[in-house]
Amino acid sequence: MTETSIVKHKDLSERTLGILLLLPAALLLLVIVVYPIATLFWNSLHSADPNNPQAEELFVGLDNYTRAFVDDRFWNSTLKTVLYVVVTVPGALLVGLGLALLANQPFRVKWPVRLGLLLPWALPLVFAGLIFRWFFEYKTGVVNDWLAALGMEPPQWLSDPTLAFWAICIAITWKASSFMALMLLAGLQTIPRSLYEAAEVDGATSWQQFVEITLPMLRPAIFVALIFRTITAVQTFDIPYAMTGGGPGDATETLAMYINKMTLDFLDFGYGSALAALMFLISMVATSGYLRYTRRSAARSGE
Amino acid sequence: MKLYKLTLAALLLLAFPLSASAQTTLRIFTGGQQRPDVMRKIADEYQKKNPNVKVEVEVGGATSEAQQQYLSTVLSSKDSVLDVILIDVIRPAQWAAQGWAEPLDSYLGADKAKIMAQYLKAYADADQVNGKLIALPYFADSQFLYYRKDLLEKYKRPVPKTWDEMMDTAKAIMDGEKNSNLQGFSTAGAPIEGTVCTYLVPLWGAGGELTREGKLNLDAPQAREPFQLYGRMKQSGVLPKNIAEIPTDRIRIDMQAGNLVFGMTWSYVWNRLENDADSKVKGKIGVTTLPHDPGGKSATCIGGWQLAVSAFSKNKAETVKFARWLSSPEVSKMQAILASHMPVFPSVYKDPEVLKANPWFSEALLVVEGAKSRPVTAQYPQVSDVIRSNMNAYLAGTKTTDVALGDMKSRLTPLFR
Repeated sequence: MTETSIVKHKDLSERTLGILLLLPAALLLLVIVVYPIATLFWNSLHSADPNNPQAEELFVGLDNYTRAFVDDRFWNSTLKTVLYVVVTVPGALLVGLGLALLANQPFRVKWPVRLGLLLPWALPLVFAGLIFRWFFEYKTGVVNDWLAALGMEPPQWLSDPTLAFWAICIAITWKASSFMALMLLAGLQTIPRSLYEAAEVDGATSWQQFVEITLPMLRPAIFVALIFRTITAVQTFDIPYAMTGGGPGDATETLAMYINKMTLDFLDFGYGSALAALMFLISMVATSGYLRYTRRSAARSGE
Repeated sequence: MKLYKLTLAALLLLAFPLSASAQTTLRIFTGGQQRPDVMRKIADEYQKKNPNVKVEVEVGGATSEAQQQYLSTVLSSKDSVLDVILIDVIRPAQWAAQGWAEPLDSYLGADKAKIMAQYLKAYADADQVNGKLIALPYFADSQFLYYRKDLLEKYKRPVPKTWDEMMDTAKAIMDGEKNSNLQGFSTAGAPIEGTVCTYLVPLWGAGGELTREGKLNLDAPQAREPFQLYGRMKQSGVLPKNIAEIPTDRIRIDMQAGNLVFGMTWSYVWNRLENDADSKVKGKIGVTTLPHDPGGKSATCIGGWQLAVSAFSKNKAETVKFARWLSSPEVSKMQAILASHMPVFPSVYKDPEVLKANPWFSEALLVVEGAKSRPVTAQYPQVSDVIRSNMNAYLAGTKTTDVALGDMKSRLTPLFR
């Protein structure tokens, strides 16, 4: 009797202590995450009169959301965003995997490789955008300089919708690969050497080792990296903003750029908030797809 | 004697923190393109005259949009960090609607009409929205045709009056010079604010209007003129191939490097072409009115920058005093000499020192007096976005005249209802 009560008492105090320790973090999250998100949803149900923006905002229900469904520019920018995701997520995974495998080699001096991996990641996105804008510049850019040296007609990379799309994809892939590589390198280093040694004894080729050992062991790291990359790819803003400003016309405009224009340029906070909520939904759908897949494959491997 | 000195020192020590605490710090915001170095010199002058005031110059983005994005964030959150803000001439309507600018009428009092009558009329009008004075004019601006005097003389060509004359001249010079870096004509074509004027100037030069009595007027035949003009220029190779990537300052850079025969750009360019150490065209540049259609009249976009007092400033009285000094003939003259910023007072254009630094100002007054305004509406950012993105798409070759004009009509119509 006394024993249990002591245990209970200990339990309680531990729980209280736990709650007390969590409290600061929870409060902080409440103020800087929950409150803004709640405000965003609240804003998305309201609309200001554009001719009298200082007046009280009116409750408009789901009007802002129905407006998005008939807004061509919303659909176009969403489609462009999805295309950037579809191209740059696998692109960055492939390049990042290659870089991680390279960095995992037993170099005598490790820091230049590590630095090379870190540098694109540490660079602010908008810098990367500006650098690539100058690479692809029509007259003074290095890309057209190379093409001219090869005797090819230099194209106008940034004012052709298709070429501008690919130029932006190249820049995003370059920028994102280094983050991918860092995540994958961490995963690679957890794979025990003994597995490879055993495979070598069994006479497996290095390709077989890669497919049978490296890839399966790396899967958790790949999934985490993919989820992070997909969420940031849905939010693509800085690089196209710096490279084309969404041009030509609205051809390379992403959803995040449209939201930025709607809120900061047009000051239409209601509709802008609704668009942001829709973008959140897209992110959720994309990541829940990954999560379901990992859960299923985890269940399968548990059988 | 020694005692006297010590006492004095003690008194000074006592007095110094006192005077420091009585000092007011005012923060003025200016764009990177509006010569912040000159603003600093002018602010230093003010500090000399008003030892109790310290002026901090905050430098924002290079483009009008980049500046406004930052200002929208600061002012939507009612931040008091800025006192005086330099705003583009297209902004007062939006600023009035948002309540960001302190109306200045009460500070001017009974003298308001008299004071406003001293300015160029276009600016006195632009800065008053529904009878309220939203900002004070700082410097005037409009677009001009910059041309290479030396090349025109070499090929014995007159200064062109019409667009077609200009195209012919540009083509003849490009063919004659055989320099692959030399381009005939350039204007803003990237999806930025300046590209709105790229559409409006030829529209006005053909006798067209974007709106008539507040209603959209793009069904008029002149609405197609700008597209057709740039289409012809592109075809003949007079326009740069990457015209859809050209922002405003690129025209200055190309002109300064000697790679441009004609450029449609703003008044700040003159000072840079004449004074920058790396300018290859010193003394070779002429400035004139923009070309027009045969039978039309030369037109230009009105530009220029205004001084708004933040509605959230904590030192409004001191701020208004500073803003009124910045908007004076004295400062207009300083700017004209230091930066070739066009004065907002007609009288300053005739000042001999100003004319010595900017000989073309003698004609410029007429141009500014005749310059036209971009549409005045609280929703100007939306209007601007429609015009510039369609003009940009047309210049990039991704939209035809019909599609670009059709999209402009359908997206502008709800904004002018």
